[in-house]
Amino acid sequence: MSYQHPPAVRRVLESLVPVVCPPEAVALGLTAAIVDHVALTMSAVPPLFRRGLVLGLTTYDLAAMVWPAARGRRAHRLPPELAERWFERWERGLTPVERELTHAVGQLLKFGCYEQPAMLARLGYTPQAWIEQVTRRRLQVYGDDIRRAEAAIVAPDPLRPPVRRPRTEVG
Amino acid sequence: MVALPRPAVAQGAVPDRVFTRDTLRGDTVLDADVVIVGSGAGGATLAAELAEAGLDVVMIEEGRYWTTRDFTAQASAMTRQLYRDGGASMAIGDPPVMFQEGRAVGGSTVINGGMSWRTPERILERWRREAGLEHIEAPDMEAHFARVERRIHVRHQDPETVGRDNELLKRGADAKGWKVIPNLRNQVHCAGSNNCAFGCPTGAKQSALVSYVPRALHFGARLLSDVKVERILLHGKRAIGVAGRVVGEGERPGPRVTVRAKLVVAACGAIQTPALLARSGVRSPSGRLGHNLSLHPNVKLVATFDEPVRGWEGVHQAYQVREFEGEGLLFAAVNIPPAVIAMTSHERGAALGALMDAYDRTVIAGMLCEDTATGRVRTINGRPQAFYQLAQFDADKLVRGVALLAELLFAAGARSIITPFAGVPTLRSGDDTRLLYAHPIPRSAMEVVTVHMMGTAAMGADRTRAVTDGHGLVHDAERLMVCDASLFPTPIGVNPMETIMALATRSAAHVLDNLERFS
Ligand SMILES: Cc1cc2nc3c(=O)[nH]c(=O)nc-3n(C[C@H](O)[C@H](O)[C@H](O)COP(=O)(O)OP(=O)(O)OC[C@H]3O[C@@H](n4cnc5c(N)ncnc54)[C@H](O)[C@@H]3O)c2cc1C
Ligand code: SF4
Repeated sequence: MSYQHPPAVRRVLESLVPVVCPPEAVALGLTAAIVDHVALTMSAVPPLFRRGLVLGLTTYDLAAMVWPAARGRRAHRLPPELAERWFERWERGLTPVERELTHAVGQLLKFGCYEQPAMLARLGYTPQAWIEQVTRRRLQVYGDDIRRAEAAIVAPDPLRPPVRRPRTEVG
Repeated sequence: MVALPRPAVAQGAVPDRVFTRDTLRGDTVLDADVVIVGSGAGGATLAAELAEAGLDVVMIEEGRYWTTRDFTAQASAMTRQLYRDGGASMAIGDPPVMFQEGRAVGGSTVINGGMSWRTPERILERWRREAGLEHIEAPDMEAHFARVERRIHVRHQDPETVGRDNELLKRGADAKGWKVIPNLRNQVHCAGSNNCAFGCPTGAKQSALVSYVPRALHFGARLLSDVKVERILLHGKRAIGVAGRVVGEGERPGPRVTVRAKLVVAACGAIQTPALLARSGVRSPSGRLGHNLSLHPNVKLVATFDEPVRGWEGVHQAYQVREFEGEGLLFAAVNIPPAVIAMTSHERGAALGALMDAYDRTVIAGMLCEDTATGRVRTINGRPQAFYQLAQFDADKLVRGVALLAELLFAAGARSIITPFAGVPTLRSGDDTRLLYAHPIPRSAMEVVTVHMMGTAAMGADRTRAVTDGHGLVHDAERLMVCDASLFPTPIGVNPMETIMALATRSAAHVLDNLERFS
């Protein structure tokens, strides 16, 4: 299914990028792309989990209003230092719900962050180039062996004497 | 029997006899000798053996048919395509255990690491003793293992494919004087591209997708992919077929598919199979359906070295450290892409950035733990939900394993090690492993994952204690078989794929030797 963040959830997630992701991610202007990526991942997770996350993030946002330090503001409107402290309070929260929510949201944001090409380039992580190089070498060096193995996949070797002729027709 | 339209071979992607949502456009009813639900390690093996013997086999797979050309290093896209629930499945417990199942033609073998090990003899002997299984010991199983190894090409790696991370693991084990062995893997000249978990982009890994599935198709089996089986059709206690729906774009339920067959096989893996049986109304007199879930809890350490490692260059898991096998602990180097490392790390913000900046100097080492607790798969609104409580004994074993593995990595030259335990500071030397014992580590602080779920429809001679008989035939049902990791009476302490395939081969022989029961 394709999932889009409700606007309120998107705002909370955007406010959490500087809290969870390394400063470079914000400096590189990746906040929106990371939050988009979270939506992609959420489209693949079980519906119950997805609904829980949306509800949890909404609660996280609203609950800040009763935290004296926030002075009536929602979580996504907190300045950086308070945003950090609010997240930390939930990370160490007394209830498993708070801890599990920050854990799950943190995982989604970190995953999205390190799927951004700009972040991967910083790490010098170039797996596709490596794959192409070794794929070519494999075929050059072992081509004959590989073809023999492919042929063996369909070579007859019955476990028991065939009981009747194998099917040949489709449908 | 309804004739199926020919598959969309014009796109060059789908072989003959594979029918996808692009071709299954209307309701379909088929007849077959055998219908097998799931095309992974168990299902594909059984399908190939029975099709070669001349039976009319239909495989049904909920996932898509992908080809070698579709597999890339894009972790996120591959995870969404190949993993059930985007890889975010969770067993509820303290700690929650994140687990992964494949959902594609070829099942979890498409995304697995390719480690191919026979069931340890002590385990087979335990199954004989505790579950009353006959003809299950090593000499009985020899021919089945050998046959599987021939089919999926189980070999040692070509030496040039061993990457630096694995060399360092071996160096550490050698320095400690610990037993370390080269892994056996199902591969034809594996290129060492280290993409196993996202599909092998070279076709070297002999997953079911490129071995047993094409073999089954060659010998006449048909495969319906993008079809989720909703229930097994029963007539009294006799299974007579299956009913499901095409999984359309965006997971929307599409046309109906019914396959009537003389033998119905559930091969959906240890999480989905008990749910399929339960929602179909299959009752086990043992009351054990969905129980007995074991999962080889796994934790990972992230070790930073001074030298470049570039762990993505070289085969996934070239070696296994077997020194502590007797305690149920195996160690290996398991490179993981940055996004997954970041995701599973306890760090965030600038600390996460610092950890990740060292990614190209990192060795990720993991551990498999043979567990003593068992959990349960419950079926809630037709969907499986796993529950698993890590035993204190196993939690202690994980702590000991992490300490040992950290010692090994320091002996190999690691500068720092991040443990999978929240609240334990980064280890900076071998002496720091003491920190792991300084205070009890609560289970809730452990980041535990698994990819080996087993045992939820276990075999056993006694129908009051086991769900199936020694060949996977469900006790007190007729013509209904289980053929996947659900069958294991106990965890096996090594990677399970080859055991599943060998048991499937053994079950195929049983069916062929007793055909009159299934005709
Ligand atoms: C990331 C990863 C790495 C691993 N590494 C190794 C390794 O190196 N060595 C090893 O030995 N083992 C490894 N394993 C484990 C091994 O791959 C599995 O234990 C094995 O594939 C399980 O076989 P199975 O037949 O039980 O199920 P699977 O192979 O998972 O196949 C089950 C199939 O059934 C389908 N299915 C489920 N429900 C339905 C339904 N209702 N209708 C239609 N289809 C359905 C699923 O989509 C799936 O394709 C790994 C697993 C993972 C996930
Ligand atoms: S390491 Fe080998 S088996 Fe794994 S994906 Fe690369 S070529 Fe395939």
